[in-house]
Amino acid sequence: MVYNTREEAEKELYEKKIDLSQTTCPNREQRANGINIFYGKASELVDQAKSGCLKNHERGFAQSSGCTLNFYLSVRVGTIRDSATIFHAPVGCSSSALGYRELFRGVPVEMGRPANYDLHWMTTNLRDKDVVYGAGDKLKKTIYEAQRRYNPKAIFILTSCTTGIIGEDIEGAVADVQPHIDATIVPIHCEGVRSRLVQTGYDAFWHAILKYLVKKPEKKQEDLVNVASMLSYTWQDRLEIQRLLNKVGLRANLIPEFASVEQFQQLSEAAVTAPLCPTYTDYISHGLEQEYGVPYFMYPSPMGVANTDEWLRQIGKHTGKVDEIEALIEDEHKTWVPKLLAIRSEFDRIAAEKGSKVRVLGSLGQGRLLAQLPYFDELGLTSPAAMSQDYDNLILEDLEEVISKVGDFDLLVNTFQAAEQSHITQQLDPDLTLSCPFQGGAYKRGKGSTRIHALRGDPHPWSAQSGYTGAIAFGNFLLQSLKSTSFQKTLKAKTKDSYREWWFKQSNPLYYMKPESI
Amino acid sequence: MSSAEAEQNADYSEWRALEAPRFSCALGGALGTALGIYGSVPILHSGAGCGIGQLFGQLYAGGQNAGGPQGGTSTPCSSLVEHHVVFGGEEKLKDLISASTELMEGDLYAVITGCVPSLIGDDVSAVVRPFKEEKDIIYVKTSGFTGNSYEGYELFFEAVINDLLKPAEKIKPKTVNIFGIVPYQHVFWKGDAKVIKDLLARIGVTANVFLAEFDGTDQLRNIPSAEYNIVLSTWNGHRVASLLKEKFNTPYLTFPSVPIGPKQTAEFLRSVGKALNVSESVVEKVIESEERRVYRFIEYGGDAHMLVRPHPFFAVVADSGIAIGITRFLVNELGYLPDVVQISDEPPEEVRAEIIKHLTEGLETPVKPDVIFETDSYLVRQNLKNRPFMFLYASSLEAPTALQEYGALPITVSFPTMNRLILNRTYAGFDGALTLFEETISTFVGPL
Repeated sequence: MVYNTREEAEKELYEKKIDLSQTTCPNREQRANGINIFYGKASELVDQAKSGCLKNHERGFAQSSGCTLNFYLSVRVGTIRDSATIFHAPVGCSSSALGYRELFRGVPVEMGRPANYDLHWMTTNLRDKDVVYGAGDKLKKTIYEAQRRYNPKAIFILTSCTTGIIGEDIEGAVADVQPHIDATIVPIHCEGVRSRLVQTGYDAFWHAILKYLVKKPEKKQEDLVNVASMLSYTWQDRLEIQRLLNKVGLRANLIPEFASVEQFQQLSEAAVTAPLCPTYTDYISHGLEQEYGVPYFMYPSPMGVANTDEWLRQIGKHTGKVDEIEALIEDEHKTWVPKLLAIRSEFDRIAAEKGSKVRVLGSLGQGRLLAQLPYFDELGLTSPAAMSQDYDNLILEDLEEVISKVGDFDLLVNTFQAAEQSHITQQLDPDLTLSCPFQGGAYKRGKGSTRIHALRGDPHPWSAQSGYTGAIAFGNFLLQSLKSTSFQKTLKAKTKDSYREWWFKQSNPLYYMKPESI
Repeated sequence: MSSAEAEQNADYSEWRALEAPRFSCALGGALGTALGIYGSVPILHSGAGCGIGQLFGQLYAGGQNAGGPQGGTSTPCSSLVEHHVVFGGEEKLKDLISASTELMEGDLYAVITGCVPSLIGDDVSAVVRPFKEEKDIIYVKTSGFTGNSYEGYELFFEAVINDLLKPAEKIKPKTVNIFGIVPYQHVFWKGDAKVIKDLLARIGVTANVFLAEFDGTDQLRNIPSAEYNIVLSTWNGHRVASLLKEKFNTPYLTFPSVPIGPKQTAEFLRSVGKALNVSESVVEKVIESEERRVYRFIEYGGDAHMLVRPHPFFAVVADSGIAIGITRFLVNELGYLPDVVQISDEPPEEVRAEIIKHLTEGLETPVKPDVIFETDSYLVRQNLKNRPFMFLYASSLEAPTALQEYGALPITVSFPTMNRLILNRTYAGFDGALTLFEETISTFVGPL
């Protein structure tokens, strides 16, 4: 089947309509035919998705990879300022959030971090007794306690496998308590067992934000641009986005990391919702358009010079700043394009020396996949393969576009399956692999290894990746990484691998995929 | 009584809701223990997020440690979802164990269960049983709601005892097992284990410390042949030692903490020496030479200590072991004055009086610290307000704002510890005194 327009494709391939009368969103599996296991050409995946025969499968061997709560929501919701988060869960579901008080403290106040702020989360600390007798009263008491202690503007409730399975009535408890407290209660249904796809957690979060927190617009703020950022976007990335938008008289409403509750309330007043990661932002973008008429676009993300140009142009269109944006782009290019070309010529020189382009294996989420490959192309790098945490039809059109731009490539879809990622890294043997801790020992190798991205609390310009400054910083960072191999080489030689030798001798990273679909 | 204390007393219960408590769940503790014993491969029968959650909340939080070859996202996991809640997860677990043993080399496989199988009633024992024919495999029955990380430590060793150990043919004299050091919760666990092993070797005693040793699983198998069990905690490892007494009749000795500095270490060596019939002269010779060297080194820090920050008040927020060890060292060897000690590991009621005794008696100062049992981070912060302490030995939850909020210099010594990488760092033993003294003085020292 061929779709003539984007709208037509969207209508057929995934459920666009958001139903805020429901307590939560549908799972990504249902909403957009999401999967988290595939290995093959990206074009094959596109064909299968379009014909509707793309199916998910069980793994006979799987590794701990993340649920709808952990780790994305668990480490992010608690960064929202003037709020409190309650994990309605046994004590271990929230331990990943123990860094909450330190996360942004490394950012100097001079760089825009508020000097005084406090973040709060509590756990209802469910125990055997609660599982047997129910924990509704405990949840209510905890909400009152959070109100009394912190006097927050919002109280987020994160649910767990346990509350899901024992059938806790979260909405009932919220309805009982809400009239008696000042904070707006925002229950988020992120029971770990509800979905195989961690991105369902994002949708669940945005659903709750739309349902409980976003206010009806009092006035339109024509200069306000909603930008939903990932934890992989550093403080410098935030500054770069703000810098670019400020230059044309626009303001970035950066959510949810370290945002204030008010920033969520006014999402409906913005001129446009812009993506950093399209599938992460998808639900809130659609919701804001559907409920309040806030337009959005999904592609591209501001990674690389060409992508940043286009990202700004899209924003220009929706804010009536087309001319200003063109002037901005021209101005910025004067500074940054020569620097980009210098980086490119260095990669070209390396390529000439070795007789082929520098091969990079990278990408993490779907969004990074879409944004990074064209950027690598810009740098003169080639990506024979990419990895993506999951795939769903939300990115189908965009993936096709990327293939048409950079050519076909191998795609491994898995959510942090370290054995599969080690396997493909060893098999493809790229010049540089962009790793993260969730690939286990895949960084141990004879050639280049570096990190795929830094994290939100990192204030150093060296770690930036977004916009023009980020494109240059990251390009230099990649060049620098090619000069360093001793760490990964030494550890490869001197420490044991996680897997037996046979694993790397056979050719299939999805060796343990069950044939029957689910 | 401060309002925070009143609140605590009015609402004391291990069931209460808490802000950022200083431990994870029983699954986290069992997983951390399995990862601490090299050669064992944990297999999680749980939701997909449990392992990655513990990577952040147990391993990174326990001294910013990566998962290693079997931890983090390398840990096999049955990744249960709704389908399994309805139809059961036993088949999935069977497949996973079989694939894990095929793919990952191990001397011991540890099936560790989370909340989901407990709630849906999977018969995990029945799934595990057939694998015992070919592999050493144990079933650690944890769930998130069973208890905290410390409970997970006990459950792991109970599973080892019940599923793996057989009575010894012969008791090996002068061999001991060391319990009570809970990996990651006791953030210096690797260094602690090594120091204890090396110290005991100096007096001719062989110690199975299990942790961070490449023959860790062999040491587990040798548990029944030890002459003594030694427990370095007022409560962690006590259930293990008492079960071993019951099953193998092994006697046990306990100490309130891992010994820190010459005084505690000398006492430790004397007690162990006496119990194991080590010649007194051997023990005393070790103590004398080590003491002499360590105190000579301490002298180098004397000027900075005496001139800049002599006899300061200090506060502690830590698990009972590190709290007792550090407090007694600072008071009895550096002359620091104890202001308040908050115990953050939720020890059982019955040992609290003993913990208070170790923190308030036998101190070489008339000052007695307030001892508060608290793990709720909000209440911990309330309890630190308006006090005279200048040094705060606590976790990375207090560190970022210690100077601003309390005017105190923070030193991170307890869980969670995210602001320092802890590899072989330890305060244990004779040399531990030097490390802790160095770290303390280094927080303020500059040109005199």
